[in-house]
Amino acid sequence: MSENNQLRDVFDAIADPTRRRLIQLLAESDEIPLHELTVQFQMGRTAVSKHLTILKEAGLVIDRKVGRETRFRLNAAPLKEIQDWVAFYSKFWNTNMMRLKQLLEEEEI
Amino acid sequence: MSLKLELDFQYTASIEKVWSALTDPFKLAKWILANDFKAVVGHRFHFQAEPNEWWDGLIEGEVLIVDEPNLLSYTWASAGEQHTVTWTLQVLADGKVNLHLDQTGFSNPQGLEGAKYGWSAWCGQLDKALD
Repeated sequence: MSENNQLRDVFDAIADPTRRRLIQLLAESDEIPLHELTVQFQMGRTAVSKHLTILKEAGLVIDRKVGRETRFRLNAAPLKEIQDWVAFYSKFWNTNMMRLKQLLEEEEI
Repeated sequence: MSLKLELDFQYTASIEKVWSALTDPFKLAKWILANDFKAVVGHRFHFQAEPNEWWDGLIEGEVLIVDEPNLLSYTWASAGEQHTVTWTLQVLADGKVNLHLDQTGFSNPQGLEGAKYGWSAWCGQLDKALD
């Protein structure tokens, strides 16, 4: 398990379909200005901005100002957390469920 | 990248015995960890692992579903992450009991409901970004 320094849980961040779509769009290119992201959605610029803020708080998005526009890019590293916990618990439960098998077969439980 | 962990084990024992191993705190201590578990919806419990320098070893949870002897579900929070653990028990044709574990990183069992809307495709695409 990794340290959780972000303001928001990665799972919370990806629980929303709009934010998953944003991550997908950002994964497809290096850097995208806000107005190019906004046109992909039915909702307004403010609503898209709010979702981007949530992604930023989870460490999934990095933004920078270029002149008058804000550009966004994906930081995929926090998604590694998801891979890490699956690996951790896979080992944890495999060991324990094997131990349960032994206990049940030796009638010790 | 996967958003849930699934494991299946088969046991040569009665379903009641496997259920008891999943719910009796003394039995749980033998194969998982020391705990104060009770199979009562809403009961809050702890599992305590050996603490080390990077983990306090404390797991806290709350019982969500108890359907004896078929299904047991609870939250599982540790190190700032909250997961949902669900156990499903099933008697197989050969008399063995299949114990299915399902753990998701979402703090409510509805978290993965979007599965039908392409979670796996989404995860597949993200794997490229993680390389």
